[in-house]
Order: sequence, then C-alpha cells, then structure tokens
Amino acid sequence: MKWFNILRDRLRALRQREAVIHDIDREMRLHLELQVEANINSGMSPEAAREKAMRSFGNVNRAVDAAYDVKGGGLFETLVQDSRYGVRMLAKHKAFTSVAIVTLALGIGANTAIFSVVNELLLSPLPYRSAEQIAMLWEVTPEGRHQNITSRANFRAWKAQNTSFQGIAAFTDQRFNMTGTGEPEELSVQLATPEIFSVLGVDPLLGRTFLPEDGEPANMDVAVLSYPLWQRRFGGQSNIVGQQLTLNGIKFTVIGVMPPSFQFHIKSRSGTGRPAELWSILPMPVGPGANDRGRFLSVVGRLKDGVPAEQAAAELRTIEARLSEETPEYNKNYSAEVLPLRDQFFGNVRRPLWLMLGAVGFVLLIACANVANLLLSLATSREKEIAVRAALGARRFRIVRQLLTESLLLALLGSALGLGFAYLGIKALVLISPRDLVSLQGVGLNLTVLAWTLGVSLLTGIVFGLAPAVHVSRLNLNDSLKDGGKSESAQASGSRRLRNALVVSEIALAVVLLASAGLLIRSFIRLQQVDRGFETDNLLTMVVRIPDSRYREDAQFVNFFSQALERTRHLPTVRSAGMVNFLPLYGGLGSATGFKIVGRPEPPPGQGPSTDVRVADAGYFKTMGIPLLRGRNFSDSEQREPKHVILINEALARKHFPDEDPIGRRLDVEMFDTPQPAEIIGVVGNVRYDSLIDESPPAVYFPHPDLTYAFMTLVIRTDGEPTAIAPAVQREIRALDPNQPVSDVRTMNQVMADWVSRSRFNTLLLGLFAGLATLLSAVGIFGVMNYSVALRTREIGLRLAVGAQPRQVLLLVLRQGLVLTVAGIVLGLAAAFALTRLLSGLLFGVGAVDVTTFTAISLLLVVVSLLACYLPARRAMRIDPLSALRYE
Amino acid sequence: MAKNKADLLQGTLDMLILKSLSLGELHGYGVIQRLRQLSDEMLNVEQGSLYPALYRIEQKGWVSARWDVHDTGREAKFYKLTRAGRKQLETEEASWDRLVLAIAKVRQAT
Repeated sequence: MKWFNILRDRLRALRQREAVIHDIDREMRLHLELQVEANINSGMSPEAAREKAMRSFGNVNRAVDAAYDVKGGGLFETLVQDSRYGVRMLAKHKAFTSVAIVTLALGIGANTAIFSVVNELLLSPLPYRSAEQIAMLWEVTPEGRHQNITSRANFRAWKAQNTSFQGIAAFTDQRFNMTGTGEPEELSVQLATPEIFSVLGVDPLLGRTFLPEDGEPANMDVAVLSYPLWQRRFGGQSNIVGQQLTLNGIKFTVIGVMPPSFQFHIKSRSGTGRPAELWSILPMPVGPGANDRGRFLSVVGRLKDGVPAEQAAAELRTIEARLSEETPEYNKNYSAEVLPLRDQFFGNVRRPLWLMLGAVGFVLLIACANVANLLLSLATSREKEIAVRAALGARRFRIVRQLLTESLLLALLGSALGLGFAYLGIKALVLISPRDLVSLQGVGLNLTVLAWTLGVSLLTGIVFGLAPAVHVSRLNLNDSLKDGGKSESAQASGSRRLRNALVVSEIALAVVLLASAGLLIRSFIRLQQVDRGFETDNLLTMVVRIPDSRYREDAQFVNFFSQALERTRHLPTVRSAGMVNFLPLYGGLGSATGFKIVGRPEPPPGQGPSTDVRVADAGYFKTMGIPLLRGRNFSDSEQREPKHVILINEALARKHFPDEDPIGRRLDVEMFDTPQPAEIIGVVGNVRYDSLIDESPPAVYFPHPDLTYAFMTLVIRTDGEPTAIAPAVQREIRALDPNQPVSDVRTMNQVMADWVSRSRFNTLLLGLFAGLATLLSAVGIFGVMNYSVALRTREIGLRLAVGAQPRQVLLLVLRQGLVLTVAGIVLGLAAAFALTRLLSGLLFGVGAVDVTTFTAISLLLVVVSLLACYLPARRAMRIDPLSALRYE
Repeated sequence: MAKNKADLLQGTLDMLILKSLSLGELHGYGVIQRLRQLSDEMLNVEQGSLYPALYRIEQKGWVSARWDVHDTGREAKFYKLTRAGRKQLETEEASWDRLVLAIAKVRQAT
C-alpha cells in the first residue's frame, strides 16, 4: 500500500511536476492567509499580521521543497534528471561516447559469450531427472588407466553387491546395419541393460522404454528410437510404435521414441564415436560360452538419496578388491572409481572454461581502465562545468552521483551493443568448437546470461566510473574556475598519475593474456610437429562393418575385405590401399591386453607386460607410410589364412627385446580362448594411436585371418584430392554386397584436425582475447599520450620556441610512453610468472614459464605501444610554437 | 523561543497529527490550530514542517485527503483519519505511554 502510494505520487510528479508544486503551493498559501486573517482579527495591523504569520510558518521555500521531496522528487526524480543530463552530455561528446561504448561492448560481449558457455556446461542442470545423483562406474587398470570399461561378470557383481545405488545399468555403443526401408544405413546403437532409462530418469516421447522383462532372452528384440532417427527415417509417423525394423538382418519391434533433448553419449568410451540413434537390449548371457570376462561395458548408476559419490566409490573399490582376490586371473590389481556425470561430461573442459572466463574478465578490466581513462580526460575538460555546479551549491555526493549515473548509462549502452557482439560471438563459438568437445548447440542468450550481463555492466559502470567521479569531486574550485582546465593544474597532475596508473595496469593485464596465449600457440605448434609415425596427406579413410548375421565364417570376413581392397587398388588415382581395425587418433576402445614372451619365465599374475593390439594388412603399412624397420611384412598367404605371425612396433621391441633380435621370437597375446603363440616376423615404426602427446605404447599387429574383425577401416592413398575417390570405392563395395553401407568417410587430415581441435580451439580463443587486450591497451596508451600532448601544448611550444629540435620533442613523448609500457610489462611479467602455471595441463612441449615466449610478447608490446605513441608524438613535433603560445 | 514552550521530540509529530485528526476532518491550518488549543499553546510546531509530515502520513495510508470548499469560500485540502490511521494512533499512544511510564520510573529512582 505504502509503496504503491509513493510510486504513484512520484510518477505523477515526474509527469506533472508543475501541478504537484502548484497544489503544495496552494495548500500552504491558504494556510498563511488563514493565519494572517486570524492575526488581523486579534487586532494586529495587516503588516504585523503578515509578518507574524510568516515567522510562525518558517521558511516557505524550504517547506515547499521538503514537501515536494515527499510528493515527488527524491532519488527517483534526481535519477531521471541525472540520466537526462547524462544523455545530453554523451550526445555532446560523440567521439568519446562511441569509443567508450565500443570498448565496453567488446569487453562485455566477450564476457557474455564465454559466460553463456560456462553457464550451459558447468552451471545449468543436466537434462536428466535429479542429474546430480547420476554417476559413471569405471574400473582402473593395474597400469593406472582410468575410466576403463568392465566385463559382464564384474558388472553383475557390482549390481548384486552394492548398497549405494538405486540402480545401475551397463551399456555399449555398437554399429548396426539397418536394412529394409530405403538405403542400407549404418546406425550407432546403444545396447543397454533394461534399467538404463530409469537410471537416467527420462521418459519417452512415444510408447514406452525398457521394462525389466525386456531383458529376458526371448524379449530382447525391442528398439527405442532417437527423435532424429524417427524424424529422418520414419518421417515422424505417430504410429511408429509396434512397427518392425531390420538390424543386421534381425527384426526388432519399435516400442518407443525418445524426446528430442535426450542423449546419452560417453564419447571417449564409445565404440562408434557418435551419439546413439537407437537403443536396444544388451544380451547378458550366463553360463559356458558366454563372454563373461571380456571388458567392453560402460556402467552408469543412480545414487541413493543422500549417498555421496565418494562413499559409493569406496564401496565399489571394496567390491572390486574382493573380485581381485576371487578371480585374480581376470581382476588382479584392478580398482574402481565413481565419476559424477557432470565430471564425466565436462571434467576436462572445466579448467579451460574457467580460464577463458578469467581471460575475458581481464579483457573487461582493460576495457574498464580504458573507459575510466577516457572519463578522466573528459572530466578534466569538464572541470569548469563541474566547478560551476559546485559553486552553485551542488553537494559533492550529488556530483559524484551525477557522474556515476553517466558511467552507468555508458555501461548499459555498452552492454546493449555487447549483447549483439555476444550473439555473434556465440554463433562463432558454436561453429569453431571442436566436435569432440561437447555439444554447444544449447548455448545461447538465456535469462541467466542476461542477468549476468546486466550485473557485469552495472559493476563495470561503477568500477570505471568511481575513480573519475571521486577525483572530480575533490576539485579545487578556485583553480578550476580560474583557468578552466586548459593547462596542467594541481588536480590535473593528480589525475595524470591516476591515468598513468590505469595505463600501466592495462598493459600488465595484456602481458598476462599475451603470455598465456603465446604459451598455447607454442604448444599448438609443437603438437603439429610431433612425429606421428605416418604420412597424413592424400589419405582417405572409411569404416566398413559387415553384419555377423550374413557372414558366419571368419574366412568370409577375410574374403570380403581382401576383395574390397583388391577392387579399390584398381581404381584410377589410387596409389595403394590397406586396412586396420582402429585408425590412429580416432578414439576407439584400444584397451591394453596382456601377453607372454614364449621362452621367458612367467611373471606373477597381473604383473605381466601388456600391449596395444591392432589388426592390419600389409597394405596398411605401405599406405600409411609406416616404415618396416626389421624383418618382413605380411605375405599373401599369411593374409589368406591363419599362420600365427605378428608384426610388433619399435616401442615393444625396445622395451622387451633391448639387446636381442625379436625376429623369430614368439608372443602369446591373451586375445584368444586358448593360448596361441604367434611368431614375430617384423618390426615397424611407432604410430601415435591414442594421442599425439603421449609416447607410443608397445603394439602388436595381427593379420586379419589370425584375429578376424567384422569391421575394418580402409585407408586409401591417392594422387591428388582423396575425397574424389570415395564414391567409386563405395560403388565397388556395393558391387560386392548391395546391402553393405560404409561410414565415417574422412581424410586422414580431417581425423588429425579433429584430434587437435580442442587444442586449436583453446589457442584460438585465448589468442583472440589476448589480441583484443593488446588492441585495447594500445588504444589506452594512445588516449593517454594524446591527451598528455594536448595538455602540454604550451610547454612543448615553448620548448620549440627556445630551440628544441622536433626530433627531441618526438623522443620526449615516445620516452614517456615507453616508461609506462615498460612499467606495465614488468608488472605483467611478474603476474604471468604466478598465473601461467594454471595453464600447465593445457601445455605441450613448453613450460609454464617460457623465456622465449615471455621475451617475444614483451617485445611485441613495446612495438605496439611505440606505434600507439607515434601519432601523438608526431602531433607534438608539429606544434606551431607561435600559435601554441597564443593559445592561452 | 520562549522557555515555557516544549520542542517536539523526533517522531512525535506524526502521533500529534493523527491525534488532532481523530476528532474530525481538518485542513492543514486547522491541524495547527487544534494542536495549539489542545496543548494550551504550549507546543511549538514549526508550521512549515507540518506539510511534509502530512504527505508522508498520507502515503502510508493513515489519512486520506480531498479538496473541498472551506467555510471562507476558498478551496482547502482536508485530511481525514483512515481506519489504518486510527489503529496506528492507538499503537503510537500505547508505546508513548510506556515510554513516559518508563522515564517516570527512572526519574523517581533518583
């Protein structure tokens, strides 16, 4: 009630100020008249009556003012007044206003864009019910490899023995060929135990999700579609539930469709590397013949209410230790971990994101310093105006408030434009963001982001407005009124110190950003220069997966692929072709497998050596340019039927055969149900399969007949553009089997680019921010020097008049700029030494404190600031002594 | 300022205005007159400060105001106690009584 009344009165006063004052006036006048009449009635003369009435009423003007303060006025009206005045002031100083607004908009825009990503990835809830209860369950291998997949047997044990989870579900992503309706197509299918949807807490859009009885062997042929697949392949038909589709030659019944927002994809451990388009039941056979011990499952669980992830992890480790004791042949020295879902998804982007937010915070600080500087210069030239207001009785608080209103106005205008920049910035971010990072599709300007922007802009308005405002309010009236701020007065020298301090801090901040960006750029270059062990140019790759249902015998698989390669080799422009199961730098499951060296004493269980296992043909090494260092490549007959031969890489040879020739030795790799030693026939060069950063681990290569895979990645080296040959290869494969799709058609350069994309993304962004910071500080130093030259016009004119050479004047100004720059660089380097270690996880081949980088960026800043000083310096040099002296 | 007149304590003006209006509708001058009568000319209210106080009370919803023709034929603004105002007056009088009582007790003790 009260607030409403006040607001109503204030609004009325705003619109009808005159009427409000008139009412007050009328009321008080009547009061006085009645009093005068009463006094006359009691026998006074009219003059005495009037005088007495006035005296007892008190100061009429003050009473009207006080009354008006209640009725209208107050903070509300002064705010409107101040804003109006501020708008007029900003409109008057157009150049100042536009520079300030653009500067702020850049700072605020960059902040908003990065914050919107932080908000989406790190702050917004994940799209699952009570997502904070969902966590991944992984094993940790004896070698310390984290997030390792587990086996059916271990999953069963976890499920039966844990007390921390409401439920856990196992899943694995696999490629399935869908045939029947339209073109054959390879789908990414997530096979899961029936609990998965209840663990994730999502409901279907249509139909139902899995029920416990779907896990029975007789009921497993059910399928839940993703929304995109439903739209793409089934035209979004509403009667899809109950229809049948064919996967790998087996019929499945559609039981439901998931909503568009649903996705559950653990990229780093996915066998397909892409989000699932369809869900079906993961068979969990028991008994002899069932692959109970092979590790291929990811596990997700929902914690019970109030059970923290750490407690669940401790329990899981206990269960795993028990497994390790009971079945050492499979689980010796294995441990387990529980990873909250948000950490799983975004754990590896959290640090870079906070760093980026810090970086844009620095950019914003620089922008603030710049605008504060501009405001200070402006305020100095407004000294006279402000002095007049003060002389007319404006209180200091009132003047500070006026100036703060102006800076808030600037900040708001800047953030309005900044939102525009942010909008474009977010679009650009989504475009350049690495595909394997995380989906940035949901990132945008939502309410949280807008609130953040508003908060940031109000804060910046106060930050950059306060210093000038307080400074101006301390003006010495006499001095200002006397010379109108045209020459360097006592306060002006105080403001000069403040301006210099601001520029020095700007440069220091820019140094920190440049140093960080420089380190990332050097890491990125190092990463590109890593010897990856193969040649990437003119190389086309594609994945072919043949369904188990059509080819039962190993020989058929071997046949299919060797025919496909043979046909490919005869295509024009194809120089060579080969195949491997998992491409380098392409994710995949690549888990280490134990092996024994035949003829050496057997190590205790769980402590034997392990190796990467790949399947390849002779053409693979030739096509990839992987050198054969010793021995020979696979022969034709070895590629037709199992001869128990292998190639090993240099790392394995070095580690296990340091002083002897490995050729002819035999390894028993634990890939088979029965021991199957294979003879080493050659040593090939190392290839960086998992990462460019880590050294290549030991690896063995089986020819296809020895270790048959249903899917292979073809690699094809061509003369000229490799993608041109793709349709022809697909035709040849279609000719072998009309129902056979290929997928993931990419050049090796694309695969590489994807792998370094995260590093490129970080480097690009930080480089951009550092560039922005440098630009803004250059503008800052330019502004300060320009203003300083303007203030010193008379002094410089005098110097020139008494015989100083223009060159000396030039040096005078440049020296002044250089002193500021060097001070900033020294300060910034000190900060960089302390701060760049935050980058350590993102660097490669370069330390967090790198003399070369730091020297280079210091020189860069010196050059930039000299350039920025050059224009004002040239202006100073060309001052005409006569007119400068007359200027006063 | 005459010694036999009392200055107003901070915050008591509101209560006095409410009290004077509790006897009937009045304009600003009338409020001053009534206060003077009721206090036997002992209370010294600065007349100019009456109006800001009246407006504030009006905003709080304790009095309502309307323009009407005064018996001298001129237009005057009349103030009338609202129900909320009457309640407020009771509260303020009660707390004033407590204060007077407390002060009196303290003074008797010395």
